[in-house]
Amino acid sequence: MKADYLTKIMDKVDAFPSIPGSAVRLLELVDQADAPIDEIEEVLRLDPGLTANVLKLTNSAFFGLPAKVGSVKRAVMLLGLNKLKQLIMASCVNAVMDKDIPGYDLPAGELWRHSIAVSVAAEGLVRELNLDSGDDIFTAALLHDVGKLVLGQFIDEDYAALAAAAGNSVSFEIAEKEVLGTDHAEVGARILEHWALPDALVHAVRWHHNPENAEEVHPSTDIVHVANMLCLMLGIGVGREGLQYQPSPVVTRRLGLKPFHLEKLASQTIQTMGDLADVFINSETA
Amino acid sequence: MRHVAVVADMKLGQKGDILVTHALGSCLGLMVYDPQAQVGGLLHAMLPMSKINPEKAAANPYMFVDTGVPNLFKEIYKLGGDKKRLVVKAAGCGQPLGKNEIFKIGERNFTVLKKLLWKNNVLLEASDVGGPSGRTVHFDISTGEVQISSNGAVNPL
Ligand SMILES: [Fe+2]
Ligand SMILES: [Fe+2]
Repeated sequence: MKADYLTKIMDKVDAFPSIPGSAVRLLELVDQADAPIDEIEEVLRLDPGLTANVLKLTNSAFFGLPAKVGSVKRAVMLLGLNKLKQLIMASCVNAVMDKDIPGYDLPAGELWRHSIAVSVAAEGLVRELNLDSGDDIFTAALLHDVGKLVLGQFIDEDYAALAAAAGNSVSFEIAEKEVLGTDHAEVGARILEHWALPDALVHAVRWHHNPENAEEVHPSTDIVHVANMLCLMLGIGVGREGLQYQPSPVVTRRLGLKPFHLEKLASQTIQTMGDLADVFINSETA
Repeated sequence: MRHVAVVADMKLGQKGDILVTHALGSCLGLMVYDPQAQVGGLLHAMLPMSKINPEKAAANPYMFVDTGVPNLFKEIYKLGGDKKRLVVKAAGCGQPLGKNEIFKIGERNFTVLKKLLWKNNVLLEASDVGGPSGRTVHFDISTGEVQISSNGAVNPL
């Protein structure tokens, strides 16, 4: 029964873990006009997992630094505050995305890898198309599929019904809605609302599969939509539903997207994910 | 030995080897096999044409179909493969739903492959391409058998 599912799903959303206190504190500090590096260092010191991640990313091929960096202070100076902010978010998301997700058939860590890839592709798209999307795009991309963590279990229970509803030609989020009364995008948006994240982020998550249905137009939503489709096509975090989503022609037109944009972006994204590979090893211990 | 070809990669195998590639979306998976020499190769190419990034193609020809396929054949010849005996199969080249031309990278990958094979008089023995499914390939070099896993089902190709 759809109504039964919906109640159970929303109970899970209410019980979903909140962002750790240290991350909330760090994000506040980073956002201050004159961000206090000493205080940032102090909060990081109390969170060894986060510190390890900051250093691991700083030393990854992604940044191509000539010498290994061992201190948080130096890492923050080299990375800059915007990268530090992304890193803190990535680390928090990693902590909730470390399990395998039945239903979507995603092995442990694969949704996290997908989320990072979509973030990388989204930032690449912003550069490629010279868009102005604000610095929330990375976080929006990072969190776009967080709803799968809640919905996966329900899909697993009723996969036969879902497969029947999806057939081979219905967009997967429509099949989710048909069988469960809601979809992973909506569930993700509810989680972000619980976390009291900004409206633009909630919007991007809620409409990432069908941006043309949203009343307002947000460039970051369009970008996440395209970046997500591209990463699935590249096989990064492609689950049981495969590529069974519909790229929006409205969005393609709105962004002025051409085939060569997408292909160039594909090669850049794979390259960057290669540079980040050392960050993903042992990610479950982070 | 089990060898895994990642995205924009190629792996060669000899008797006793299994070649694997995971999660083909719009990428092309190409399996080439010489049953007599018992050698084979598995390509996982991402984009149709290298002109989009010639520098990258020089560094890694296996990113692109137009440079990856000829390189795969050359490597097979080096292992003693003979063009007359080669069995060629393709998988992947998937597509999201709808008619959005920009996202038809899979279709463009397959078109470039077919043109290349046709120009060089090579037959495509079998293919499992297109549609919205993700695919994983297991290629047994002892027997030449290819298994495609997709949507929780495993089928020979
Ligand atoms: Fe999604
Ligand atoms: Fe996604």
